[in-house]
Amino acid sequence: MSWHKQILRVNLTEGRCQIEPLNMEWANDYLGQRGLGSKYLLEEMDPAADALSPENKVIFATGPVTGTLASTSGRYSVITKGALTDAIACSNSGGKFGAELKFAGYDLLIIEGESEKPVYLHIEDDKVELCDASEVWGKTVWETEDFLGKKYADPLMRFASIGQAGENLCRYACVVNDRHRAAGRSGVGTVMGAKKIKAIAVRGTKGVKSPDPAGYFKLASEVNARMTERDEMSRDGTLAMIDVTNNFGALPTRNNRSVRFEGAEKLNPEAMHTPNANGHTNIITNGACFGCTIGCGRICHVDPTHFSIKDKPQYHGASGGLEYETAYALGAACGVDDIDAATYVGFLCNEYGMDPISLGGSIAAAMELFDIGAITEQDTNGVKLEFGSAEALCAMGEMTARNEGIGADIAMGSKRLCEKYGHPDLSMSVKGQEFAAYDGRGMQGMGLAYATSNRGACHLRASPYEHDFETTDIEGKAQVVYDSQNEVAFIDSTGLCLFPSECGWSIKDYLELVNGSCESDWSEDDVQTVGERIWNLERLFNIKAGLGKKDDTLPKRILEEPADVGTAKGLVCKLGDMLPEYYQLRGWNEEGEPTSDTISRLGL
Amino acid sequence: MQVSVKLFGGLREYLPAGSAFNACVLNLPEGSMLTDVLSHLPIPENKTYIVLLNDVKLDREAHADTIVSASDEIVLLPPIKGG
Repeated sequence: MSWHKQILRVNLTEGRCQIEPLNMEWANDYLGQRGLGSKYLLEEMDPAADALSPENKVIFATGPVTGTLASTSGRYSVITKGALTDAIACSNSGGKFGAELKFAGYDLLIIEGESEKPVYLHIEDDKVELCDASEVWGKTVWETEDFLGKKYADPLMRFASIGQAGENLCRYACVVNDRHRAAGRSGVGTVMGAKKIKAIAVRGTKGVKSPDPAGYFKLASEVNARMTERDEMSRDGTLAMIDVTNNFGALPTRNNRSVRFEGAEKLNPEAMHTPNANGHTNIITNGACFGCTIGCGRICHVDPTHFSIKDKPQYHGASGGLEYETAYALGAACGVDDIDAATYVGFLCNEYGMDPISLGGSIAAAMELFDIGAITEQDTNGVKLEFGSAEALCAMGEMTARNEGIGADIAMGSKRLCEKYGHPDLSMSVKGQEFAAYDGRGMQGMGLAYATSNRGACHLRASPYEHDFETTDIEGKAQVVYDSQNEVAFIDSTGLCLFPSECGWSIKDYLELVNGSCESDWSEDDVQTVGERIWNLERLFNIKAGLGKKDDTLPKRILEEPADVGTAKGLVCKLGDMLPEYYQLRGWNEEGEPTSDTISRLGL
Repeated sequence: MQVSVKLFGGLREYLPAGSAFNACVLNLPEGSMLTDVLSHLPIPENKTYIVLLNDVKLDREAHADTIVSASDEIVLLPPIKGG
């Protein structure tokens, strides 16, 4: 069985690290990663506690398939109460860190309490120690990885760190591993910063055991061969989506004032692959996480003559480039069509540890506040914070990374920013978390998915894409969102990536790998049941944290201002017509609370 | 008449030789149907895609009943599931 059946618990207040047995009953009910981590969080903390208080916990959770021979098995999640949302947060990352944590012998790492001084956690199998982090506190993610890499001189050691954004309690700070993969959303890195834990360095030599290695090798090979539609994702990454949403009329532009961006073709895969006037091509190659046979990652570099970096040789090298979400947030959302500027600010996000979606969404909100005169050049230190200005985008990226001037306001996230400047309706967020790259008017199902997502607006908590590109008619959308939320919750708990489901895998393929890893006999019905259990557990956490029906909503703009162009021209999101059916499908009452029957049926 | 069509994503590989990187211009008789336009592109039968005509999504059943004109904007999009 691929479980190590072990938890590593680190109490920062007491400076104590101890190994405990994994609760296998919970692993059977919630699988691993997102489900199991959420179960531990709800059982161990009061959801009403302040996200930045010592009572909050940070759980790094692998899944049963993490680190195995299955393709895309490098996933892990960070589960905590989100600093951005005050809701349950579960942020998923790839790279190689998750598999290494598993190889060290731990299914879960639970970090609790709060350290008096900055520390980092050093793990080499059973050897675990908290170390003084004063030499890296105040440093970037990249500097931290370089320092620890040199100190331990083990090329297979992996790191997950926060940058200065996490230290400064930027509300959407992320945990970055392997230089440019991130548990990006909801402020999970902010909680690390509040606890004064800078990084985790891990090296494992225990591997992942299977009772039938040859059989599992055969199974993983067979399932991998079924991923037959990956060429486009390998070549263009997720960025291919920008042409679809833009033409369809669902690409949020200039803080959702429009659903189509006239500059999208300067940010699309062709733009990334085509040399500019200087002969510089943005993309160098693609990149893959542990065990991945897709390679959706973009490895890019900024034109060295571009204004943003011409005097900064440290940014002339290659690193993680634009994906669809970053191209939206640091491009269309701000009305900026400069691929070099967006790539540079994406580098800043990886380096300083910020979620680019929330950063871009917050800068876009600031640009609209500037446009209506609520923010002035006095506030911005003279920067003309205009939609479309690549210079303003870069300046805001730098000021936010360093928590300087107006950047300290942008670091609060768009909700707090817009409240401060007197226009709360201009925050394009749900539960305080900024929209992803889909507009809920052009994609009505996504509107419902955003509104009901337990971690705030998110494009990865449901999969209404196919239905939304089929029709803007809302009939059937509540069912699609409900079913896919459950399925995604299951996949997020396996240790596998969601993207194989876009490249040829069905849920049966995921199931075969889970059953092969766990020596279990899960069925497709179990997928829905486990997913539903996880979804309701997260909901119960949020209810105890004070959230409810009032938070299952969308900004006024999406509910009242019709889309200006595209297939949904003239439409607003019909959330109010979809929500009652959704609650009914979930087995919740009119207030959005799970009924006693639902709680009992799911064994909650 | 000349009708221009834009193709995105992996559909670009079905553009006729000599096309711009994501668009082509087809010479068709006046009164041609949308199906005539699509038949000039070597897209395999089993390949699914979305057709937008002047910002309106058209179901497959409507292709044979839709007359196109030179001023129409025709866009073909691949069905991508998330990102």
